[in-house]
Amino acid sequence: MAVALNNRRREAEVTLTEIVEKYPDFPRLVALKIDVQRRGVHYTERAESVVDSSIHQMRSPYIFGSRDGQIRPLPESLILRDGTSILTDPTPLEQNPYLVDLVDGRLALINEGEVVEFVELWPKPRYYDKQTSSGVPMSHIASARPQRLNIFQSSFCHFWAEKQECRFCDIVNHTKQQKDELGVPTRLKPRDVYETVREALKEPGRFTGMCLTAGSVLKGEEIFDREVDYYIETLQAIGENFTTKKFPSQLIASAFNEKQLARLYEQTGLMSYTSDLEVLGEKMFNWICPGKAQSVGYREWRQRLIRAVDIFGRGNVGTGLVGGVELAKPSGFTNEDDALASTLAEAEYLAEHGVTTVYIVWVPRPGSYFRDQQNPSLDYFVRLARGLHNLRVKYGLGVDFDDYRRCGNHPDTDLSRLL
Amino acid sequence: MAVQLTNEIIDLLNNQETTKVLATLDADGFPHAALKQSLQPGENDTILYLEFLESSRTNKNLVRSIWFDKKVAIALRGQGGECYQIKGTPVKTHIAGPLFQEHYAAVREKHGDVDLAAVWVIEPEEIIDETFAVRRAEEEAAHPLFLHLDRRARQG
Repeated sequence: MAVALNNRRREAEVTLTEIVEKYPDFPRLVALKIDVQRRGVHYTERAESVVDSSIHQMRSPYIFGSRDGQIRPLPESLILRDGTSILTDPTPLEQNPYLVDLVDGRLALINEGEVVEFVELWPKPRYYDKQTSSGVPMSHIASARPQRLNIFQSSFCHFWAEKQECRFCDIVNHTKQQKDELGVPTRLKPRDVYETVREALKEPGRFTGMCLTAGSVLKGEEIFDREVDYYIETLQAIGENFTTKKFPSQLIASAFNEKQLARLYEQTGLMSYTSDLEVLGEKMFNWICPGKAQSVGYREWRQRLIRAVDIFGRGNVGTGLVGGVELAKPSGFTNEDDALASTLAEAEYLAEHGVTTVYIVWVPRPGSYFRDQQNPSLDYFVRLARGLHNLRVKYGLGVDFDDYRRCGNHPDTDLSRLL
Repeated sequence: MAVQLTNEIIDLLNNQETTKVLATLDADGFPHAALKQSLQPGENDTILYLEFLESSRTNKNLVRSIWFDKKVAIALRGQGGECYQIKGTPVKTHIAGPLFQEHYAAVREKHGDVDLAAVWVIEPEEIIDETFAVRRAEEEAAHPLFLHLDRRARQG
């Protein structure tokens, strides 16, 4: 299944160097990560010539698609010399991505012909070469990050069936593409997940945590009951691999009620819970996440997060934002200052109640409703990272379950390495 | 500007009997010095520091150093009294990958059920011989006035 692309060329904007000068207390390497995520990467032929699929992790099944709309055998992603992961994907040259090129025998990020930083590719985990007893490649069951296992147990989202998908999301279009081109299962069997985790654990020092996520499942006696059942079944299967009941883990799921959350906490080894509001503020939420708005509603979604703190504890409950989507056209904020002020005010309300807020950089993907749009400036994303980090400092909120190592996709939690 | 490690320094770093101290700077610029026996020579004249605790003060200070170009200092004291100070900069940290996993396995083999948070790579920029006899000779040559008169007084 091909995904249509639209070319976007950026207007002249503030550069990384200017941003680093403007915010001397903000780490240059984290600002670089943000900028690479904003703009994407293009691997030159020279760079591709040194990629070795026997030691480097190649692109594996993921819940979202890439900016070029293709599934090609390219490196999964990059890691910087400070241990910062950059989750980014191949991007058409017309969109002015960073280049990954070979310089003096090493891979480097290049901008405007200059070396910005040397980088390394993610190491391939050993289990990627194995299959489950049912014959599924284990790389299709769990995809790796430098220190985390990702288990996308079901990549179908019921909001899509009702054409009420989140406007930045391409999950179902990408799922179809992965199924057609790679044969990736759309729903994982708990036994396959158990076997894959068991194999992954045979590599000492490779993983510090795991994350389960999937699309929303509305079915059940109460909304999301079926989704909860499936997570419990999978987490229990995973738990058979551990000697302790609890194991470092994150679930990113729908907004469950207290009964559902208690079942998850009591019946599984799960240690943290995240439910993504995606965008803060009721008006934006209603526009950008119509399915979530109609099924649960902004205020109730927020309350369910707050109630989850009583079950999982402070510092173990979070919500994720698609940072920058609040500036989408035509109904988003029209200036970055207003967007930032509104987002941070809402995030502060959540922090006061023990819920931590993290963001990923919004990438308008070709399989999403917002595919033709452009994400905000680097300046905006730096200020958003600082703002969310400062709230964690102010309210003494930890974010160990979703930090630079156990996740690696949130510039704001990269900063928590100093907390 | 990176400097080469001498064989004597490499031997000291390799010797488990050597006292090894790593000093870093916190957010307020206060020094934080701690005994760190995991300091060892790395490749290409670098020094490796194995950090066992993700949340340690030293680890946070090293993150701050690599982000904001802050220096660190290492003090070594051998069994024979020889002392060196090495000033340098953390230039890389391995939190994953082959080198990390190699050290992860090694520290668990050696220390039992411990974790490994990071393998830091420190590039030395200056090496100072702090052995007392050496420093004393240097001072006497460069600053002949730096002494108390009674040390030169005629006896009796």
